[in-house]
Amino acid sequence: MTQQTKLGLGFMGPAIVIVVLLFLAPVLLTGFFSFTNMSTATGISGGTYRITESVLNRLPADQVRPDVIVSLSESQFVVDEAGLEAMRAEGLDPAFIEELAERHGAEVFTSGDDLEDAMKDLDNRPRSIRVIKGAVDMFERSLRDRDFAEEAAFTAALDDAVVDLTDNERVVIVQAAYSGWTMTTSNFSRLWSTPQTGQVIINTLFYVGMTLLLFNVGFALVLAITTTFLPAGQSAFFRAIWFLPRISPSVLYVLLWKWLAWDTGFINAVLGQFGMAGRNWMLDTTANAWVFVILINGFVGASMGMIIFTSAIRAIPKPLFYAAQVDGASRWQQVRFIILPQLVWPLLFVSTYQTLSLLTSFEYILLSTEGGPGSTTEVWSLSAYQTALSNYAGNLQYGYGATMALVLVAIGVAASLLFLRLFNFKHLVSRPRIEQ
Amino acid sequence: MTIMKLESIRTTALAAAAAGAMLVATAASAQDYNITVWAGGSNDADIYRVEAIEMAADILEREMAILGEEVNIEVDGRIDFGSWDEFKQAVTLGVESGTGPNIVVTSHGDIAPWSSAGIIRPVEDYVDLDAWPLNDIYDNLIEISSFDGIVYGIPQDAESRPFFAWIPHMRAIGYSDEEIAALPARVQSGDYTLYDVLDDAEAMQEAGLVEPGYGFYPRVSNGPDYWQFYQSFGGEMHDSETGQLVLDTEAMTRFYQFFADAVERGVTRRNHIGTPWDQWYAEVASGQAGLWHGGTWHYARYTGREGLDDFFGNVQFSLIPSGGDGGGSNTITHPLVYLVTSQDDEDTAFIAAELIKIASEPRINTLHAILSAHLGISESQSQVDLYSGDRWAREATDRLLPYASAMPNHVGFGDYWNLMWAGLESVWAGQATPEEAVEGLQVAAQNALGDNIVIR
Repeated sequence: MTQQTKLGLGFMGPAIVIVVLLFLAPVLLTGFFSFTNMSTATGISGGTYRITESVLNRLPADQVRPDVIVSLSESQFVVDEAGLEAMRAEGLDPAFIEELAERHGAEVFTSGDDLEDAMKDLDNRPRSIRVIKGAVDMFERSLRDRDFAEEAAFTAALDDAVVDLTDNERVVIVQAAYSGWTMTTSNFSRLWSTPQTGQVIINTLFYVGMTLLLFNVGFALVLAITTTFLPAGQSAFFRAIWFLPRISPSVLYVLLWKWLAWDTGFINAVLGQFGMAGRNWMLDTTANAWVFVILINGFVGASMGMIIFTSAIRAIPKPLFYAAQVDGASRWQQVRFIILPQLVWPLLFVSTYQTLSLLTSFEYILLSTEGGPGSTTEVWSLSAYQTALSNYAGNLQYGYGATMALVLVAIGVAASLLFLRLFNFKHLVSRPRIEQ
Repeated sequence: MTIMKLESIRTTALAAAAAGAMLVATAASAQDYNITVWAGGSNDADIYRVEAIEMAADILEREMAILGEEVNIEVDGRIDFGSWDEFKQAVTLGVESGTGPNIVVTSHGDIAPWSSAGIIRPVEDYVDLDAWPLNDIYDNLIEISSFDGIVYGIPQDAESRPFFAWIPHMRAIGYSDEEIAALPARVQSGDYTLYDVLDDAEAMQEAGLVEPGYGFYPRVSNGPDYWQFYQSFGGEMHDSETGQLVLDTEAMTRFYQFFADAVERGVTRRNHIGTPWDQWYAEVASGQAGLWHGGTWHYARYTGREGLDDFFGNVQFSLIPSGGDGGGSNTITHPLVYLVTSQDDEDTAFIAAELIKIASEPRINTLHAILSAHLGISESQSQVDLYSGDRWAREATDRLLPYASAMPNHVGFGDYWNLMWAGLESVWAGQATPEEAVEGLQVAAQNALGDNIVIR
């Protein structure tokens, strides 16, 4: 390795670390999570094995015999010598142990509560309820509601509790009793067969397409071209104004839009003067909501294209314009034959970048319409976010949400390839004919 | 839980044995505990969710001192979470990564997924449910705090979600004072139904008493309240026999249809969902809406910040009316519960559970109930002057709580709830007919929940 390569790698080092940690790892983890059923209920850090009422309800009647289910559901506490010995080993009061053995030796209790009550009735009962509860657990001889961290220990206990388990029954019970997440492909089939999926895709295409065409590329281009023909001072002023949405904090920016559109907002305050009834302009109808969503996002997005297109226009050699003017070309002809042909590269870049950006950005929608009214402005990334990370009922579905995010990654890659094809990328990067 | 508990019983046993001896000997070295309490869905009026634990810490320190144990308990409370989902995300991720709280105050609906994920410990493993004050708590609230037959939480408060009517407007459309006074009984018997609500709302709008769309003015966001309307049409959420969730397609369609009708008749705005809460509170507390529904805790807001001085002279309240055939009047109570998380060791969990127990004593819980206009959790609270002297607590407890049901504790209920809400929203916004929405809900629920839900 040459000195120069080492130096290059040294400079790249921090960037590589950041790319791996912040970009590559999340994508790989998303890919992995999307093949799991991870949710709030399964936890992230793994589960335990436990026979609970829910597990018993879940056991399929056609695969596990009824008498097995009955024996698993029973709870049994036996005051036996093993338990008494365990109490001694724990250093509990000998008088308490002796009295328990004397009054309840060999007795079978069907619930921990009953044994707890029996212990509380003893003359030599410990003062602390915690000690009594601990002692009760030492006599538990059934599987019901006991937690096992390891599968092997659970299976052993299971075989002890039910002697004639078939192999299939054992597998089914162990599977049902595990509370953690498992690998699955069901997220994809669920996504495919859920009726809402189609509507969310349509919403996303509409949102990305309209915002991109009307603002992020279309309006940005108009701004760049018009400000080019203005005097320097004025053009700088207009560009600075169009930059304001971009540099405003998003929460504040959307709040301003809300103040504008609310029932008690600015629009209604003005229209109220003319006797018009107030309404929430942002959420009144689906069309209203879309107009606001596209305006809110478009005003932010237009500034970036404007700057890039402006700098590209500035890079066009001035003599081309002088020559065109001498030849009598109108402003429109200058735009059509000089400016636009020079903007193919920036157009490709802005379209691709903004498509990917719009596909994944949902914060302005979340802050303004929250996907409403109904779910008419719910786009894919917002839906994925709400599924995986934020919903009122609190059961977050990390696995299913990751599946949705993974699909978004695939769509992003496909869209990028489409743009490269559309703008004839090969032609753009081929060597100029003059150099061939 | 059993295994973990066994590990530390020896230390407890020794500590308990030593405690007696220490009564006459010198005190042991002080044991320090830092107990973190996070309360979701809380505002300033709910500060006793945390302060009750601080008061309990003082009492517990004194009790332990009498037993010869010097214990210092620092309580660190937090109620400033932006929303329920932020709070729940903070708790679940916090506990999983070992940086969560020791005690949480949250919806009872979280018990099922959180116990399954191992985020919380069963409180019944730490406290004596047969001893005062826990044996005095209403049985149905203890049941709501349980999952799979195990008591995981202790109810922190009770509430109910009543229907409200603005009395001057009711009078203006022809109700006599006697009829208004008899309204709660008519609602309860099923004589006054949800469609009577729409008729009265329409009459109020026609008389120019309220603006169009303000006749019937429901909650502005998702909440347990909407399940009440499903129940009004005879819907059941859960089958206790099989443990499965239930989607009653007929009741769900009629429930969706009711809101579609409300919008169609112009008594509820099509864009109502998403109205800012501040605006909503100000409007309902000042007679700008005719009929609406809310929570018992709204009383504090109406009479406090919104300045409604004569609540009982202006507002009538009742159960949520029946939807007609096959349904009945009802209300849902959605108690918050104290839960002990799996954060930290067994000893800390034990202290946390003890604190919850003490904080549930009638006098301490009454401070929260009255300040925040919630309802009490135990019988004895009606004997506490502060509680019995409060007309709202007294009347709301009598009129609503005996008829209150709760949402089921089920791991899949959150998913079902989200889907139900999405369906309602689409009907409300005019995106789908009730039949289409229920059809979509059915497919989505089966996809998401499989055998966990039964479609009727």
